[in-house]
Amino acid sequence: MTEESTPIGSIHVSPRAVATIAYHAALQSYGVVGLTSKNLVNGLTQALVKDPTHGISVEYDGNMINIDLYIIIEYGTRIKSVAASVMNTVRFQIEKALGMPINAVNVHVRGLRISDID
Amino acid sequence: MLSDLQEPQRQDSTFDGPLDGQFLKLLLEASLTWLRTNQQTVNSLNVFPVPDGDTGTNMVLTMQAAYDEISASPERNFGKMAHMVAHGALMGARGNSGVILSQLWRGFARAVDNVEYLDATGFIHALSVARDTAYKGVVRPVEGTILTVSKDVAAAGEQALAKTDKLCDLLEVIVQEANLSVQRTPDLLPVLREAGVVDSGGKGLFFIFEGVFRFIHGQSLDAVVTTVQPLSSMNLENALETIEPGQDYEVVVDFQPYETLDLPSFYGSLQEMGTSIQVGEGDGIYRMHIHVPTEKRYHPIDYVMTVGTITKVAMENLLAQMGRIEPSCSENQNKVSPAPVDPGQIAVVAVAPGMGIARVFASLGANAIIEGGQTMNPSTQEIIHSFENLPTDKVILLPNNKNIILAGKTASELTVKKVAVIPSRSVPQGLAAIMRLVPDGDFDNVVHEMTEALDEVETGEITIATRNVEIDGVEVQEGQIIALLNGKLILSSQSLEDACLGLLEKAHADHFELITMFYGENTNKNEVYRIVDRVRIEYPKQEVEIQEGCQPHYQFIIAIE
Repeated sequence: MTEESTPIGSIHVSPRAVATIAYHAALQSYGVVGLTSKNLVNGLTQALVKDPTHGISVEYDGNMINIDLYIIIEYGTRIKSVAASVMNTVRFQIEKALGMPINAVNVHVRGLRISDID
Repeated sequence: MLSDLQEPQRQDSTFDGPLDGQFLKLLLEASLTWLRTNQQTVNSLNVFPVPDGDTGTNMVLTMQAAYDEISASPERNFGKMAHMVAHGALMGARGNSGVILSQLWRGFARAVDNVEYLDATGFIHALSVARDTAYKGVVRPVEGTILTVSKDVAAAGEQALAKTDKLCDLLEVIVQEANLSVQRTPDLLPVLREAGVVDSGGKGLFFIFEGVFRFIHGQSLDAVVTTVQPLSSMNLENALETIEPGQDYEVVVDFQPYETLDLPSFYGSLQEMGTSIQVGEGDGIYRMHIHVPTEKRYHPIDYVMTVGTITKVAMENLLAQMGRIEPSCSENQNKVSPAPVDPGQIAVVAVAPGMGIARVFASLGANAIIEGGQTMNPSTQEIIHSFENLPTDKVILLPNNKNIILAGKTASELTVKKVAVIPSRSVPQGLAAIMRLVPDGDFDNVVHEMTEALDEVETGEITIATRNVEIDGVEVQEGQIIALLNGKLILSSQSLEDACLGLLEKAHADHFELITMFYGENTNKNEVYRIVDRVRIEYPKQEVEIQEGCQPHYQFIIAIE
């Protein structure tokens, strides 16, 4: 997908590689307790293979990179703030690693995990 | 008996009794005040070398929301009050550090659920629960952050509880441990080490504990003067503006204290000599800055010699220096007259980081200018105000900074006017866009044209690194000149000239036609002319223009098109 040409050849970065960065960045981001699949069928197959890009979709249209994250947030945190900070973290980490601008990071909150009830 | 606790002369003893809800309010107010006093110190601990950190602000806003929740409450039950605090913190949580802070409060509140008066055991237990709750909020906790500080503090509290059950003594242990823990953060998190800073969120948490400590010891909470800033964030240039009559000499002394510097008394002694006092610290070296009258110009040096070993002294006659300085941009021509707009036409509102840039936008047809840019982002409210009074309902906004685009979009949703935000991330992009403006054209077409223009220009920025850091393989020392191309750090250099030329080379300026250089408010004019001459020699085929931009922070903003 993402491509860059240098005088001695070109560099290809696959969506999967980008997704792996996003995966780690998302899990390190405060308030995110897990990633989940876009839909149930995917969820079952991915649960079997333990995919490092589980819950993340990366799209590249030849020009811009769009990323969708499907996350589970800790109950009791402010969802809006957590989502905003995941967006920032993922964007920062990918742009840092890839050196390419990200067009959009869309966060889909798929559920909440309840550790403690107040 | 408990009402004694609220007497203004706070004494150690009052803190050791069981605490009620009203006392929690006092403590929270103290932490908030102290955190706000040190907000800039926390903000300055950002990792990227361009000033844009805001952890301190986020934490203050979160604490402020928590305090607002209880400020009018007469509740005396400690547990109920703590729950209100947690609720306020949750509602007001801003940014990563704010969310973590709200989780700490949430755990704290849960631990004191049915507690009417808080005692030492309850306090330490609450700190442990706060830590556990905060850690549950993330799958892979990053150590060397505010989380680590909360963990270390809780552990230290548990240990100390075995020796004493006096709240006052426990608090002292906690504040000390918080400080040590913050100092250790660079050992745990390499990115902090690379940037040469401690973790900002952890530092903020330290100030929250220290605020309580200072309050119960009756120490001042709003005395900004006794704070030490990181050396890198000392802005001595700005101190020039605050010259007072009679304070003719500027003295700057670097020194290593013989023993731990007693800041309040240090400041106290300096205040008797002069004004504009600033003290910075970095790696055990302190830097003191002061303005003094002519006859006292050697006093600060003599005084500093009594507290430490002097390594460097710089003295300057400010009056003579003022005479040399050309009138600064802001005094030069303070008026910008935006272009007029008729009803039904398309109006353009541009955000400009300096007077000169504002004038250029106005001359190209901007109908309103908002002052703002890096580190001084205008609020949504200011943006709405700027176009509310224009006699047309079609407005195009040029944010000219990536941090303002969002505020602009929010503003566009909050107004009845038809507002389009062109996502210009820099001044050159904004200028490229406004060139395509057709005031009487079809709104959607004009917006489309202007948005397309954004990619036709390359943006170069030259500024000074505020700290040591390594990003994208470019190593930067504090104080070095750095160049950014389209927002990415591409090189660092010792000289402004090399940075400009290096930037133009990397931007392949020889493939473009026009190079426009906007010089900043602190850029020396003679140097500007020298550099522009060099650029003209290196790029004979390109048109090279120079403009007075007056923007702060950036020595040059360069448009290459």
